[in-house]
Amino acid sequence: MTRNNGVQRWVATGLALGLALTTTACGGNLGSGSDAGAEDFPGGDPITIYVGADPGGSTDLIARALADGAADDLGVAVTVENKPGANGTLAARELGGEKPNGHTLMVFNGSLAYITPLAVPEDEAVDIGDYEIITGVSQDDYVLVTAPSSGLATIDALKNAGRPITYGTTGVGTGSQLAQALLFGQAGVQATAVPFDGGAPTLTAVLGGQVDVGAIQLGEAVEQIEAGQLTPIVTFAEKRPSYLPDTPTVVEAGFDVAVQQSRAVFAPKGTPQPVLDRLRTSFQKVFGSDTYKKFNQDNQLTPNEIDGAQLRDQWSANLATYRKVAEQYGIDLGSEK
Amino acid sequence: MDLSPVLDGFGVVLEPTNLLYCLIGVVVGMLIGVLPGLGPAATIAILLPVTIGIEPVSSIIMLAGIFYGAQYGGTITSVLLRLPGEASSVVTVFDGHALARQGRAGTALGIAAIGSFIGGTVSIVALSLLAPLVAGFALDFGPPEYTALAMLGILLVSTVSSGHRLKALAAACIGLLLATVGRDGFTGAERFTFDNLSLADGLDFVPIAMGLFGLGEILYNLEERHRATQTPVTVANVWPSKADLRQSSGAIGRGSVLGFVLGILPGGGATLSSLAAYAWEKRRAKDPERFGKGAVEGVAAPETANNAAATSSFIPLLTLGIPANATMAVIFGALLIQGVSPGPQLVTQEPELFWGVVNSMYIGNILLLIMSIPLVGLFVKILRVRATVLAPITVLITLVGVYTVNNDVFDIVLVIVFGAVGYLMKKLGFDPGPLVLAFVLGSLLEDSLRRSLLIFDGDPTGFFTRPISGVLLATFVLVIVVPPVRAAIRRRRTHKELV
Repeated sequence: MTRNNGVQRWVATGLALGLALTTTACGGNLGSGSDAGAEDFPGGDPITIYVGADPGGSTDLIARALADGAADDLGVAVTVENKPGANGTLAARELGGEKPNGHTLMVFNGSLAYITPLAVPEDEAVDIGDYEIITGVSQDDYVLVTAPSSGLATIDALKNAGRPITYGTTGVGTGSQLAQALLFGQAGVQATAVPFDGGAPTLTAVLGGQVDVGAIQLGEAVEQIEAGQLTPIVTFAEKRPSYLPDTPTVVEAGFDVAVQQSRAVFAPKGTPQPVLDRLRTSFQKVFGSDTYKKFNQDNQLTPNEIDGAQLRDQWSANLATYRKVAEQYGIDLGSEK
Repeated sequence: MDLSPVLDGFGVVLEPTNLLYCLIGVVVGMLIGVLPGLGPAATIAILLPVTIGIEPVSSIIMLAGIFYGAQYGGTITSVLLRLPGEASSVVTVFDGHALARQGRAGTALGIAAIGSFIGGTVSIVALSLLAPLVAGFALDFGPPEYTALAMLGILLVSTVSSGHRLKALAAACIGLLLATVGRDGFTGAERFTFDNLSLADGLDFVPIAMGLFGLGEILYNLEERHRATQTPVTVANVWPSKADLRQSSGAIGRGSVLGFVLGILPGGGATLSSLAAYAWEKRRAKDPERFGKGAVEGVAAPETANNAAATSSFIPLLTLGIPANATMAVIFGALLIQGVSPGPQLVTQEPELFWGVVNSMYIGNILLLIMSIPLVGLFVKILRVRATVLAPITVLITLVGVYTVNNDVFDIVLVIVFGAVGYLMKKLGFDPGPLVLAFVLGSLLEDSLRRSLLIFDGDPTGFFTRPISGVLLATFVLVIVVPPVRAAIRRRRTHKELV
């Protein structure tokens, strides 16, 4: 679609030029219209939030929860548009080509910013420097699980298994893969990655003993953990998530490999600061509502409602760290760099 | 077997809202079944955005209704106008329209309705009994089992399929090739993506199916319409005579079983089972020359089988998370929209949804039987709408529909490309079915095979030592070996007799 985007961009540029000329020619300063007015944002025009994944996944649910709340506050329609493809790269590229007027936003996945770049060729990696960040949203923890019958309930048991172990990941270039590769690399466990297509198939494979262990997002595994069908070994969080208070974190277990999924709301580069501020205020109102708090609770999400600048630092630091450790332990998420 | 969840499921269906959605689904299904060019997969895809606002159970009940309703609707046009409204009703044309020209259109429609009802019902009963059993095994279904299942599926797709064997094989090979497009899920390497990010996740199944089946069909039918015999057929006396019923009872029985079995198999489904059922009846008939000239069995067998298959194809989807055919893949998408991931956990974790949907099919089949006959006249009127009016509308709906699934303009391009491919394939006598199904099974096969080899640490004997994959692979070998061996034995026997 690169070519078409190019065309669209040309058309947009042409239109913008034409508009500028007309404006100059008329000698008027047309302050109205959704393009110019940062003060009267959103000015009655609807807002679209892109999601780079299929409907029904965590990112989609988060976007919909945010859209519902923000629509009430902003007084305009806020719709979610799913544009799945290439881990969200497709949606991110499209966002980059949209007008920076606050009417097109995207719920960005942290993995797209700090994990996918380790797996894909450089020209395909998304750079968060190309976007404005409105606000951080929440974090989702990965948990390493195994079937109770495997007898591999601790990291020590994995180390002493006396055979190479197999671990299920939710796909190539995902946090699930990176987290486990780093853990087993540091722990010196001989292990083979078996990539599955998302969380649910990975869960099924671990339940059925097809693979020894697997890392899955907490929200997807919590039901089976509570039912005793899965044993949690460690979480890949910095601090114990409130939803799984009795399971140690990798950091506690003595490894330096906290890997989390994270979400934030992005806007195209050049979106005026007042518009970004207005949107952040609106999202903060959503964060404060009981409905949204319950939504987080129900989906085992940990709030990470920091501002854009902090989020940029957080994600950039993640990318730098993962790059360093991956290099140190010779971990290669993809075959092509 | 604990019956309480089954009974609770009936409670779910009998809620007025769900009954209403079931009715809507069945009527919409019949309607699109009547209209050539817009299949259930395309219709359901178009309705996907609508389902977001509906409860999960209600929306799946409605979509399921569309699916099996379409099997009924397709029959009507096949019989009356020699225009199969649905791929699964193509074979019904031969004898159905012949009957209509003999003034026995009512008989053909009546037999089809009764056969569909029986086929559907037999299949639901079997589904109710079998699905929980399969779900019980589902955790033992790992990558090696899926590998064997996909191999068997591809073999069946290219051998059981209708039409020219070599052409089917060629179409299946193209499907397998198309399945390799996209980023390799194991190494991240790009394959056939031409630096186009829209291809990074591979070709999407929905635009391919909508292009080949939807758009291709519309284009092809535009031509066919000119040639179709538009002789007005009067429909009288829809209740078939006792003699007709007696003559077709065997076909209905065999059609139910065959449809049920083929519906479960990946690559099977309504179209394939209708073709297989027709071929079976023709082969075992004492006077095969009657077929194509108005044999009642020639209507009963495919119509029974396609409904039975439409129902049973829910089994692999709801228990293993494998969509067995195009429509199931779209329903899979609908479940995901609702935040429900179909798989082994579904029966135990979402019993309301599972049994609600399954039991809605009983009600839906009864609704179909009641409604199909009085509505025939209305559907025939709809068909009077000129193709020049109808075709552009359906094309537009298809294009808008495919856009709404992924909100990607590239998908529209894909539909147009595959629409052209589908049109050419039909013109040249290739069935697009094997292509689409090999495409679906191809990625399943590759991923499962490579996953298995990672798990087995590269040792292929693992496939044979696991019980389920071992049995599936043995079946695979039997399917290949038995027919030529039997043919050889028969040849030797005739040879001896000659000597």
